[in-house]
Amino acid sequence: MANSLTRFWGQGSLQKHVVQTGLRGFSSQQNPEVEEEEEFRVLSLRTVKQQFQKRREVKKDPVTPPRSNRMAVDQDWTAAWPGPRSFHPASVPLPLRQGFTERGAAAPSKFANAELMKIPNFLHLTPPAIRQQCEALKKFCTPWPKGLETEAKWQRHFPVEVITTDYLQALPTIRNPEARRVTVSLKLSDLKFDAHARDKFLRLVGDRYDKDTDILTFVTDRCPLRKQNYDYALYLLTACYHESFVTEPWEATKSEADMEVYLFGRNKSKLSAEEILNWNAAEGAPKVEPSPSYGQSVEQLINEGENEYNLTKYKEEVKKMLNIASQ
Amino acid sequence: MLQALKTLPWTQSVRALASVATSATTAPNASSATIPAPEPDKLYSKLEIELRGVDPAVLKSYTWFATTAADHLGIEKGKCWSPRKAHHDRMTLLKSVHIYKKHRVQYEVRTHFRYMNFHKLTGSTLDTFLEYIERNLPEGVAMEASKTELQQIPEHLRQPPEEV
Repeated sequence: MANSLTRFWGQGSLQKHVVQTGLRGFSSQQNPEVEEEEEFRVLSLRTVKQQFQKRREVKKDPVTPPRSNRMAVDQDWTAAWPGPRSFHPASVPLPLRQGFTERGAAAPSKFANAELMKIPNFLHLTPPAIRQQCEALKKFCTPWPKGLETEAKWQRHFPVEVITTDYLQALPTIRNPEARRVTVSLKLSDLKFDAHARDKFLRLVGDRYDKDTDILTFVTDRCPLRKQNYDYALYLLTACYHESFVTEPWEATKSEADMEVYLFGRNKSKLSAEEILNWNAAEGAPKVEPSPSYGQSVEQLINEGENEYNLTKYKEEVKKMLNIASQ
Repeated sequence: MLQALKTLPWTQSVRALASVATSATTAPNASSATIPAPEPDKLYSKLEIELRGVDPAVLKSYTWFATTAADHLGIEKGKCWSPRKAHHDRMTLLKSVHIYKKHRVQYEVRTHFRYMNFHKLTGSTLDTFLEYIERNLPEGVAMEASKTELQQIPEHLRQPPEEV
């Protein structure tokens, strides 16, 4: 119906066209037999050859049998699968099955099985492949030096430990801000101090020193690069060490009230003990000093508090000093 | 894999291993020779590797690979372990767009961890081994390698300063 309508419309328009443009030379009335055939002619601006070009048929190659059928039993697998690659069923001569099915049915086979392609495989890292690669890498390795077998031995020669961390991650960036962090640690007993310097050093480093393990630790992460942080940690160590040997003028004004611990040597207790020991001594005779063990016991008694052990020890020392015979 | 490794500039192999302890402190005189003096090798007492990934089977295979490679290269292995449970990172959302508070949907990300320890590596061994296993790290696995380097006390800290 629609077809005939358009045809009719076309004919009418053609006649109208003729009527309107009677003067034009290229009127469609030049070949009237086309109109008698009932075909709607399309205005073709392109060449005629293109119009009749047929759509090319897609040739499909026949599906070849899987490559694994042709593989020898004793083939070199490291050559067949040399690098990391997602699973390919035709290249792997293993009867693999993976996936969920209804109960009782076998799991889907390896062909067209997406489950096997999802998980990263280690087919390129088979034991022979690892051995081959390690043998090639062995020439870059060096053995651990002799004489440093145990921790005690290497700590004697290499007391400083520097801990750095590398990060590998699946992010768009390979940078990790944590990688800049450097930890430098060493035992405080490896550094040489006098009493004043040690006291000052411990005040300078604060909680970077662990009293229980005697380990000093500097953690630096304020610079953008690891190298800078390492240099900064060593700078901190050096600066604290050298500063601790500086005695400022105001340090001499430390009075007894400022002392953190009781020291026998600078207290009244020592003077009293000396007085007792030098009772009725002749003029010019050498002064008798209280024994260091006595001083130690007094210090212990006051610093650690009065407990049974300290009191007993103090008692023994006093008896010894005053020559009182124990019963 | 091997081809790629071969083409890399392996500067580590040039390093001569410093003889033990005290003699290593004397710095080689660089001005006398045109050939740069061999850089003393570093010493690492421990290499600690943490792996994290979503698939425990992949982590297990990778651990097996790394420990086998360490065996072949003669590296002393330490403790290799993994926590029994994964970390669950959960997110609870409304199932609907903005109402029906009783009906929620929960998403979670499970992260499995695995740890490996290697002891007593020289600098060149550590660089070789670490690069080898890092290049073979499978997809979707993150690695954190912390290295404990052993160093001597710096020259200027061995004796107390004389003039301050």
